[in-house]
Amino acid sequence: MFGLSKKQPIAEHEATGEIERVYYEIKQSLRVTGVNLNFRTWAAYGEFLPLVWDVMRPNVETWAFESAADRLRSDAVRSVAELGPPAVRSHVSLGESQSFQIRAALDLYHYVNPKLLVFSSAVLLLLQGEEVGRATTQEADRLPRGVPPTMYSMEMESEQPDDEHLMELYRDIKNSLSLRSINSDYRTLALWPDYLSAAWQALKPLVQTPMHQDAANQLRETALTLARGLPYPVSLDLQAVKDAGAEIEEVVEITESFVQLLPGLILNMARLQLDWREVAELEESPFPAPSPQFEKEGVS
Amino acid sequence: MNWRSFQQLQKVVEIGDSFISYIDEGKGPPVVLIHGIPMWGYLWHQQIPALAETHRVLVPDLLGFGFSDKRDCFDRSISRQAEVIDQWMNALDIDQAVIVAHDIGGGVALRLATLFPHRVSKLCLLNTVCYDSWPIELMLQAGHPETKRKMSASTATNVLSHALKQGFSHSPDASVMEGLLAPYRTEVGKLSLIRNASALNTNLTTEITSRLPEIRVPALILWGEDDKFQLLKYGERLAWDIPSASLIRIENARHFVMLDQPDQVSRHLVDFLATPSESPRLEASPNGPSATVKR
Repeated sequence: MFGLSKKQPIAEHEATGEIERVYYEIKQSLRVTGVNLNFRTWAAYGEFLPLVWDVMRPNVETWAFESAADRLRSDAVRSVAELGPPAVRSHVSLGESQSFQIRAALDLYHYVNPKLLVFSSAVLLLLQGEEVGRATTQEADRLPRGVPPTMYSMEMESEQPDDEHLMELYRDIKNSLSLRSINSDYRTLALWPDYLSAAWQALKPLVQTPMHQDAANQLRETALTLARGLPYPVSLDLQAVKDAGAEIEEVVEITESFVQLLPGLILNMARLQLDWREVAELEESPFPAPSPQFEKEGVS
Repeated sequence: MNWRSFQQLQKVVEIGDSFISYIDEGKGPPVVLIHGIPMWGYLWHQQIPALAETHRVLVPDLLGFGFSDKRDCFDRSISRQAEVIDQWMNALDIDQAVIVAHDIGGGVALRLATLFPHRVSKLCLLNTVCYDSWPIELMLQAGHPETKRKMSASTATNVLSHALKQGFSHSPDASVMEGLLAPYRTEVGKLSLIRNASALNTNLTTEITSRLPEIRVPALILWGEDDKFQLLKYGERLAWDIPSASLIRIENARHFVMLDQPDQVSRHLVDFLATPSESPRLEASPNGPSATVKR
């Protein structure tokens, strides 16, 4: 079963000390309004998250990392485009504000999920003893820190909601995707339970199809390649991971589960987006980073 | 109407990088209903149908409240909220409206009436913050940054639900209370509420106290007379300072007067909306203590 750990993830509001510091840096460097489940889960393993974050951060803050995620997003959109819009909207009665916010929430995850896959793939390689990144003789272009000004908040329903119908829906999602914890994406969409219910009815029949699995495998392979090609060569001292109090076998297992899970999630969010936006628009980043050239000019 | 149905009626408009969700029901001259803390537009759900028979009823969720933008990156003070209401009216192409407001929404309304007077055709204040009547102790505690660590969102909602019962003359229906606090049941909602509470600032009403006599539009002050959060004496003082104001005390009602006595409040609002916009008493005594105090 994926997702995850036997340990309780550390929520943003529960974070203190080093975890609080790392959560803040993650949001600023990944340019996102919240901390996703993979980080919250790793945070439960002693000092593992600060250790791996400090190793990975120089790469995360590069334009190359952003471009890698852009590539995955674009690949995912092309994979689901031929399926056409899932027509979830037409099955749910949504108000204008609700529609606006659902679209904004989908943009958020459409943006961040590919970044999570690149990051998780890199962490998996590091845990397997590989060096990530290729030697570079010059400094890579840096991405500006900070959350895009119009990005939706990463607001989520409780994982244990009072609503029995929603709880049942969570159970179905978890069973179908072999999850222990429900992902941030679905918990955010649960703010509009009728929408999540209809969305899941549209997604569920597809997730086990060969086409979906092939597309997910392809994304996974591409992500590993892109992770290997990040600009700065880094490695992880596995003894240091053990010394940091992390049960390394369990950390490897949950990291594998993220790498296994995220491609399908990227495809699902891209598919839902087809109800709201054109394919060409979806292939582009919803929150494009300023180009390195622009940044250089800004600095000078 | 339950809160989910109410939410489904909300429209949206973007103001800069933020967005405001709002109700827009009925046709006719515009009337804007502004909620307080820790509420949202749903507070007015029992008044909207009656008012919408003759008016275009607009009910925004203030910035950081309800289902408007709740991110942790903007000013939520009543000063900023008044500016946002001004921009929101611009976005909806509304020049002027009757402003009806409760609690800190009243603080927003008082700033509109004194600093953006062209926006206000009439003013109705219900158990509003004013002078140095606020913030109440409960909200001062809620606004401390460490509150976000001290309790989870569900605990915070439970605590708030219990504390707010003091604001009702009789316990509200459980589904209504659930609806009132629904936007704050998540961690993002909880944090937004903490930031809303930390933005409460007495100075933003005391700085306009001297300008209250400048309010020239017809004004009605409705006050649940048993309110423990905003005492009746403040309503009486407003009626004294605003030359055109009338005060109506609502019996068997506390802070959430529109929920304690929904029919009575609706009736008074309908009557107030039906009166002419010009106030004859205003010209007779523009600066004196001319408030008509009814019982």
